[in-house]
Amino acid sequence: MATSTTLIPTKSANSVLNALSVVPGIILLAMIGYAAKLLEHSVNAYAKLHHWVFPNIEYVLWAILIGLLISNTLTIPKVLQLGIATYEFWLKLGIVLLGARFVLADVLKLGGISLALVVIEITLSLALMTLLGKLFKLKPKLISLLAIGSAVCGVSAIIAAKGAIDADDEDSSFAIAAILALGALALFTFPAIAHGLHMNDTSYGLWAGLGVDNTAEATAAGALYSDAAGKVAVLAKTARNAMIGFVVLAYAIYWSSRGQADTVSNKALFLWKKFPKFILGFLLISLLVSFHAFNKAQITSLGNLSKWAFLLTFAGVGLRTNFREMSKQGLRPFMVGALGEILIACLTLGLVVGANRIWGL
Amino acid sequence: MAAEKSTLSKESSALSLDTWAVIIALLLAMAVRFDVIKNVPW
Repeated sequence: MATSTTLIPTKSANSVLNALSVVPGIILLAMIGYAAKLLEHSVNAYAKLHHWVFPNIEYVLWAILIGLLISNTLTIPKVLQLGIATYEFWLKLGIVLLGARFVLADVLKLGGISLALVVIEITLSLALMTLLGKLFKLKPKLISLLAIGSAVCGVSAIIAAKGAIDADDEDSSFAIAAILALGALALFTFPAIAHGLHMNDTSYGLWAGLGVDNTAEATAAGALYSDAAGKVAVLAKTARNAMIGFVVLAYAIYWSSRGQADTVSNKALFLWKKFPKFILGFLLISLLVSFHAFNKAQITSLGNLSKWAFLLTFAGVGLRTNFREMSKQGLRPFMVGALGEILIACLTLGLVVGANRIWGL
Repeated sequence: MAAEKSTLSKESSALSLDTWAVIIALLLAMAVRFDVIKNVPW
């Protein structure tokens, strides 16, 4: 009896402490995000006042740059790290709320096109990464992880696959580091190439959603081009995320048939467990908007809440990218990843250009 | 076994992260719908 009475307060005290431990890091994310917004406004205003020809640097890029500067020049104290890791929560919250800016007809039209392109992209990416991995003589399970990471959705796909195919920690760290490093590079190269090619917002958004692996980087790469491109990038990336269960299941079955992973007894349950549930939230909000559950001002408020959540995400993307740590992971997996990603970027660009000609995006 | 456990805990925490994001988003949407939160600035 005495034990139970002392346990309950201890447990609740622990949960309060756990909840509080994320606060310092979240405050840092918010400070970087807000500084990025201020910098966008003040730098542009200053340039205009002095009649300078200065490129419009958006808050997205400022947030990432400040984060990168901090994480690559200073040691981030442990007390901030838990809160910084919440950037993934803000990303998902932002995506669900972004549903308010899509009526279901848009989701079905653009989502349908995205889904068709996603199936082609996944098939080709898996084949390409497997081929490159074999050419560079990487370990078979590392090849699987790199293929899944580049074909579907970066880090979450690798984490989901790690357990399912019983891969070791070292291979997972290699694959995650390669995907993150390449995602960071894509942030700067994708918008530059698209500007060079004079791509429209929809085409670019689709390309970013299909070609950039990690959801946070794909969202940022889209938003770096324009607000409209950011919306489409999230939709295309969400369609790609929806396929995670099917791809991981296929790999789990392959490795268990070779006796190197557990057998999957209930495939439907496996698919449900791996399905990213935030997609359902996004569709639900979009459905509510389609049935006029919100007025125009309320839709704007939800859209702005989504932007605030993304702002914390972009700060987290910069803070999480540490080039020194990534370089420790070795060059070969990175080379395979880089080669594969360049080819996948060209391939997805071709797919989007083709879709633009067929459907007039 | 330990690796299995750590994977399971990672997966369950990843699942709860999704669920929490949906729950908080729906609560925010309700607050906006019933004008508890109004005119969010950007």
